[in-house]
Order: sequence, then structure tokens, then C-alpha cells
Amino acid sequence: MGGLQKKKFERGSATNYITRNRARKKLQLSLPDFRRLCILKGIYPHEPKHKKKVNKGSTAPRTFYLLKDIRFLLHEPIVGKFREYKIFVRKLKKAYGKTEWSAVERLRENKPTYKLDHIIKERYPTFIDALRDIDDALCMCFLFSTFARTGKCHVQTIQLCRRLTVEWMNYVIASRSLRKVFLSIKGIYYQAEVMGQLITWVVPYQFSHDHPVDVDYRVMATFTELYTTLLGFVSFRLYSSLNLVYPPKLDSNAESEPKEESEDDYAMNSESYLEKLSALSASLARVVSSAEEEEAQLDQFPSEGEDMEKMEAREKELKQQEAQKKLFEGLKFYLNREVPRESLAFVIRCFGGQVSWDTSVCIGSTYDVTDETITHQIIDRPSVGKQYINRYYIQPQWLYDCVNAKMLLPVEDYFLGVTLPPHLSPFVEEKEGDYVPPEKLKMMALQRGEKSGNEQEEEEEEEEEEEGEQEEEEEQEEDDNGDEEDDEEEVAEEKNLKKMEEQRSQGKSLHVKVTPGQLKVENKARLEQEEKAEEKRLAIMMMKKKEKYLYDKIMFGKKRKVREANKLAAKRKAHDDAEKAKKKKARK
Amino acid sequence: MAAARRLKRVAISQPGFLTLNPKVTPTDLVSSRRKRVNKNKKKNWNKYSDVQDVEEFLEDVRHQERTTGGLLSEKSDDSLFFLDVGQPKKVEEKGKLVSLVLAYQKPNAKKLRRTAERAEKLAAKGVVPRSKKRLLNRTVVDRTSKKTETEANNNPERDFYDIWGQESEFCCGVLIFQRPEKLNEKPSVLPAVEVIAPGGSYNPDFFSHQDLLREAHEVELKKKKVEDKLERQLAYNKEDRATEETILREQVEGLVEESEEEEEKDAPKEDGEEVAVGAIAVADKKTERQRKREKAEKIKEQQRLTERRQTEQQQQLFQLRSIKTSIKQQEETTQIRQKRRKAKEEAQKAQPRRLGKLKFQPQDMEVQLSDELAGSLRQLKPEGSVLMDRFKSLQKRNLIEPRERPRVMCEFIRCIVNNMSFHPPPSLLGSREDSR
Repeated sequence: MGGLQKKKFERGSATNYITRNRARKKLQLSLPDFRRLCILKGIYPHEPKHKKKVNKGSTAPRTFYLLKDIRFLLHEPIVGKFREYKIFVRKLKKAYGKTEWSAVERLRENKPTYKLDHIIKERYPTFIDALRDIDDALCMCFLFSTFARTGKCHVQTIQLCRRLTVEWMNYVIASRSLRKVFLSIKGIYYQAEVMGQLITWVVPYQFSHDHPVDVDYRVMATFTELYTTLLGFVSFRLYSSLNLVYPPKLDSNAESEPKEESEDDYAMNSESYLEKLSALSASLARVVSSAEEEEAQLDQFPSEGEDMEKMEAREKELKQQEAQKKLFEGLKFYLNREVPRESLAFVIRCFGGQVSWDTSVCIGSTYDVTDETITHQIIDRPSVGKQYINRYYIQPQWLYDCVNAKMLLPVEDYFLGVTLPPHLSPFVEEKEGDYVPPEKLKMMALQRGEKSGNEQEEEEEEEEEEEGEQEEEEEQEEDDNGDEEDDEEEVAEEKNLKKMEEQRSQGKSLHVKVTPGQLKVENKARLEQEEKAEEKRLAIMMMKKKEKYLYDKIMFGKKRKVREANKLAAKRKAHDDAEKAKKKKARK
Repeated sequence: MAAARRLKRVAISQPGFLTLNPKVTPTDLVSSRRKRVNKNKKKNWNKYSDVQDVEEFLEDVRHQERTTGGLLSEKSDDSLFFLDVGQPKKVEEKGKLVSLVLAYQKPNAKKLRRTAERAEKLAAKGVVPRSKKRLLNRTVVDRTSKKTETEANNNPERDFYDIWGQESEFCCGVLIFQRPEKLNEKPSVLPAVEVIAPGGSYNPDFFSHQDLLREAHEVELKKKKVEDKLERQLAYNKEDRATEETILREQVEGLVEESEEEEEKDAPKEDGEEVAVGAIAVADKKTERQRKREKAEKIKEQQRLTERRQTEQQQQLFQLRSIKTSIKQQEETTQIRQKRRKAKEEAQKAQPRRLGKLKFQPQDMEVQLSDELAGSLRQLKPEGSVLMDRFKSLQKRNLIEPRERPRVMCEFIRCIVNNMSFHPPPSLLGSREDSR
């Protein structure tokens, strides 16, 4: 008769997947070891599309891995190391049980260890791949470096994480790659641009730790193991790209050297070097020591497909970036004891400023509070004792807001005791018609106000606000804009007329005189826009009824966002007015 | 199988058969296989067992008894051996001199002298003998340095080198395989670090904070809804609660005879039965006429249907426009459905997959209420923990399956055991984290 009968679950997706227990038995590993191996090698469980087929008819929730992935795992030499470790543990237990202490010593000395270098090379064959995955690694390392050094996780891991995070921060300072900072209730978010990649990481606050119980520490420790190795190699590469010595050494040519006697107070000799490095106050030594040379201006050639305008735009951007990198250059800061020292020192030095703090806080302070050349002192208390004349006393939010705004903001809003403006998130990009908080509008206005030099003074603010609005609401209807402007003008005219009528009724002669006419400079661009708007209006009038109906519907949907934004703005205004009234009452 | 063996045996026994191994002859090959015999029967035992060695032993014993009168092992040493003292003591002195000389003589003295001279000559030249060379080359075992600590992966002083600069296939002694392409794909489209919404700033803007609060509020509402639903399902009417009367009546049911109640119950029952009986009436047989009539009706029905179909087809020609519109509508609905399905798929990609027994539980939203907002960085009380956030992020991106801490059964549960074995309570067994 026919050939062999086809049995169910013998081919297709059922044979591509394997359950976790089967995989474990195939590799002859225990479950925690198997988990570790999967994490280290980057093998993740998959959810099959048709669970019933793969699970042979049942829908019980099971963890599935791809069979090919598990076969790939069989070649890994680390599997042998895991088995050796298991045997080591068994022998150790036996020696303990028999109280053979010499055997215990001997076994401990020959404990099997493994290295993960080849796994890193396998998972990230090029440097750019590794850079893409460095976000996760940085977060984990920063997190572990804040752990307390009790015996829960290996103390060595915590030390290694601390060293790596300090090295990373020093690199970012040396390359001036920090772009955005955001203080949230969870931690501080940083974003840096390294070799064209945007890297975001979060650092928890130094204070307050109640560790949640629900987290599996072994899993996190395994991830950290992998990530510390990755971060170390990436750091090496980054340091060598900047021509710096790795492991980093402090520049011995630095002018201000810390005093020798007081070093003993801070740390033991072995740890004092790391502590000095982590103070982030000194610069790093280079491989080929060279004075800071001016980079020769490279000739700019337009790449294919670009015209002069784009190239100019790009040049402009580069110049802006260069200017941004030197934001705090020439400024001298002093941090008071109650502010988060490490974060602020990092941010200040990333933009070229000089920073110091009280000697009792940490090692590495370069100048004292009595130094006359200090320009800004960062304080977080309601009041301060002695005040020097030629320095500003400001709250720490000023620094972060300056970094996000890419310019030095006016210091008045951040004085002691003043209610701070809200700290906005730089990671949010407003789309057309969205609500933009007025503080952000002000900031953008300031940014633009500084750039464009020649403007008419009357229409300065109006134009800036309009431009700002137009750039946000890109496809904003010209009608609307025109309508708003017209409305404003009409209102102004009405007021004027009313005034004139009143004066007339009172019998006074009007102050209307014949004066030489003022030249109205007609903005060509504006005229063009108005013409276009007119044409559009005509076209709309000529539409058929059906088409007009559709068009109205579309416009209604588009304008909804704008209406909502206006509503929110009105609410905010009401809120502000209420606040003002409250303040006045309070003053009385 | 047996047939193949027989064939081989026949082939081997042919004259002129050559074996591959010259030492092995065909006869060895044939006779190496003996037929298996059942030795449990007396007849077979007598026929096939070989008692030659036993017979030999017994013969030997009998021979010993005949010749020496008893077994040799039972005889004393004196009867069998005597001590040979040797010749009388006449030549004693000569023997001593000879033995003295013999005592000082070395059998290979010449050879030894020769080798010593050779070694001296070589040492004068500077050549070191092999044994000395090996002694000198032996390195001292460094017992003080801890090899394991320096080689461990998490040693804080460990060295890093340029791993991407070397183009070789080996990396610290391990051959690197090329990873299959599929493993390089990320398991999820979510980014590694998700920045919190702008309302989560330590000093947030009013409206973004309100947005965040609203989101948290909605989450809480959902939870409350679920709870309310449960309450509703479990709720019952207070009036339905059993009073003492009803309880008594229930308990007493069927016990007490009340004739009036029985009559009432009987009457309504009978009516019901009649109705039921009427419905199960048996049908009479169909007559010829009825059958003919049914057939004619059937044929008519079919004719009508075919005519109708024909007219419909003709009319459809005039209905082309409406047909077109209906087709268009159908296409539109399918397109809309396709779009919706695609959008759902995209949304599904961002969701965490179901990778194990437990479902993914998103963490609570980190939000500070309006009165908890701090005015300054110094007074800020952090909310939420980065550790939990990272853990959940790993689960969300499908890197690990959702894990939960195993709930320890209440330690105070008494296990009453009847057998003699001792079961200690779970607390004494020790936690699992101690194992590494």
C-alpha cells in the first residue's frame, strides 16, 4: 500500500523547538548553570507562533528554545568549566566534611576560573556592535557600583564596576561628549554621543537604598559579569582612540597637586589612586604628551548630492556643537557640602569648567572656598553664612538646565530661596500642535534671540514667538496665523478708535496731525505668503460641496490638537494669575 | 542470520580457501564455534562434559599414596629434606682468605673507573650531565601567589587589551566560531533604556505632572474595576439569606406527612403529563397518493428554482453597478481589517512575549503626588529603584523569562508524620542561595 504514515509532531515547528528541561539535559548542566550559560552567550527563549503544535497538543506555558541555538551552545568551552566547578564544589564539601584543612587549602588555591573574552569577541565582532549595546552595560555597572559591600554579591564585582564607571566618566570628560542630562525621581539620566552613537544611561541617586526583595540577584550578577568585560574592552578602545593611557593615569603635569599629608585621611594607599581618579577633578595623562594644539581647519568639500546650503547648515551645526562643548569654559565652580558632588563635578568638567569642593567631603579638591576667583558657588540651602561679592550663589538645577539649553541661562531664576522654574525633560521632542510649556518657549526664544543679531526692535518678540510657533507647528495653516495676527491688529485698532472717539466726545481736539510718512519696509517673504494664502482661500471657495465636506472634516481633525493646546495655555494662564493674586495677598 | 553463518561455514570448508591472516587456518575458523548443548539432563552430562582434569588429579593422589605412603603435603619437613653441612673443617683457613678477597672484590670495577674518568673529562669541558641539567631547569613552584584570584573574571585589577585589533580566529586560546545570523537579532524592538516621561522630573512642569498623575490614576481605576467585579460576582441578596423558618422547613421536608399538600401537587402534575403524551403520537403510514403528490411537488419546486436562477442571471446584467459597489465595499472592509491586523501585530511586537509559566507584571508607575514633590534637590526622596527597573526591562525585552521569588510556605505549619523518619521544617533546611 502507501508509504510510512506521517505521525503528528514529528516534523515542522514541533522539531525546531526544544523545552528548557530537555535542553538542560542535553548539555548536562544544572538549571542555574544553564541559565547562566544562556545569559552569557546571548541565547534567549522564543515564544513559538503556534504553541499547540510545538507543545504537542497542550497549551501549558513552557519555556522554549530553538534547537539550533542549543546545538550552537554545545561547542562552548565554558560548559566544561561549569562542570569542573561543580566537581570542585563537591570535592570541597567532602574535604570540609572530613575536616581535611590542607586539602581545603589546596583545593581553594586551584579553584577553576573562566574568562569571557572570547564570548565578547564572538558576540560583538566589530567595535561598533559593542558600542550599540553599551547602554545596558553602563546602567548595570553604575547600578552595581552603588551597592553596599556586604557579602551578598561578590565584593570584587562591585569594585570592578566602580573602577569601570570611573574610567567611563573620565573618558566622557576627556572627549566632551555629554549632551543631555535629566534629573528624575528615579535617578539621573545622561546622554552622550560617542563615535556617532547616542548612548543613554541612568545613574541612581547616592542616597536612599532599600533593595527590593523580588529581584533575582544571581541573574543580575551574571549579566554584570558579561557587561563588565564588555565595558572594559570598549573603554580600552575608546581610550586608545583618544590617545590616552589605559589603565588611566593622572596627568603629572597638572598645576594643582593634592597635598601629600592629608591623603592618608581619605583612603588606604592601595585605594587612594582610584579615589583620586574618581574625584574627576584632574585631567588624564596622554600616551604622546602634547600641548593642546589648535586643530587645523580642514577644507570642507561638499559630498555628492549636497549643495552649498546643506553644507553651510552642517557647518553651522558643527560650530554650534563646538561652542556647546566649551559652555563652562573659564568659569570656576565651588560645590557646597550638601549637593551631589559626583554628578555635578562630572557635568561641570564635561563642559570645560573648573570645580572644587570642601576638603572634608572627598579627596582631590583643588581650591578652597576662600579663593577669590570663584565665579559660581552651588548651594542647596535656604541661606548661606558669608557671602562673597564677585560670585553667584545658585542652586544646582542651573547647571543641568544650562546643559539642556546648550547656553548659559540667566542666573536670577536660580538664586537661593527662589522658586525654581520646572526642570524640563530634554528627551521629549514636541510635535506639531502639541502643548509646549511656556518655560520652554522662553528658553527657545532666548536661544534664538542670541543667534539672530539684526532685528527690528518693535517686532522682535512677536516675530520670535511667531517663528517659534511656526517651526513647531510645521504644517500650521497660514490662515490661522493670518487670522490671529489680524485679530490682534483689529483689537489694537479698535482700542485706538475708541480712544479717539472718547476724546472727540469730550470736545478735545484730536492730536491727529499730519506727519511725514514712515517707510514701511515690506517683507517680501511675508507678501509671498499672503499671496499663497489668498490663492488657497479661493481654491477652497471653488470646491464642490462633497469635496468641501471632506476637507472640513480633515481640517477639523487637524485643528483639534491646536485647540487643545490653546485650552491648556488658557488654563495655565488662569493658574498663573491665581498664583500672582495669592502672592500679592501673602505680601499684604 | 543463521543462514549467513551456515553459508560462511560452507565457504570456509571448501578446499583451497585462503584466509587474510596467514596464521589463522580455515580449520580454526570452523571449529571455533561449538554447538550449544543443554547439560541439565543426565544423558547430556555424561556425553558432553569433560572430566579429564579431575581424573588426572585423582590419579596423582593415588600415585603419591602408592609410592610414598601418604600425601606429600601431609608429611613433615624432616622426612623429606636434610641439611647439607658440607665437607669436614680441614680447609677452613684457605676458605677465609679466599672469602676476604672475594669480599673486597668488585665485579665491574674497571667499568666504573672508566665511566668516572669520562664524566670528569666532560665536567672539565663544561658539559653538564643530563640529570643535573634537569635538576637545574626545575622551576620553583610559587606557593605564595593565588593564581585563581588573578585569573578570575571579576578581578578588580584585571587587564584589558585591544580585542578588536587582532584579526586572528583565536582569542586567548579559543577558536571563535561564526555566530549564526539569527542570534544577532535583538529579541525586542524596545530600546535598552527608556527615559521616564517628563512628568517624572524631580521638579516637573505642571501639565506633564498632571498627565502622569492621570495615567497612574487610570491604572488604579483598572485595578479597582477588577476588584469590584469580583465583589459583584460574590455578592448575594441579603433577603435570600436563610432565616430560621426556612432552615426548619428544609430540615423537616419529607419527614412530616401532610395530605392536603400532596393532592395539590398531584393535580398540576397530571396536566403536564397529558400534554407530553400527546406530542409523542405515532404517525400513520403514508399512502400511495400522498407519495405521488409529494413527488410532483418536489419536481415543481425544482423547476421553479431553476427558472428563478435563470432570471436572476439575466437580471444581474442590469445590476452591474450595484454589484460593483458591493464589491468595492467588501474590498474596503478587507483592507481596513488588514490594516487593523497589521497595527495589532506591530503593537504585539512591543509587548513582552509569554516565555514561561508566569506572566509579565509591569512595575508600579513611579509618580510622586503633588504634596510629595520636593522643592530642592536636597529634599528629594527618590521613588522607585533602578534595580527593579533594570530587572523588569530585561523581562520586557524578552531577554529572560519573568521570575518571581519563590514563596516560602509558612514555617509554622506543623507536619504531622506517622512514620519513623524525621522531617525538619523548611527553615532548617537552609536557603538555596547559600549554594554558591
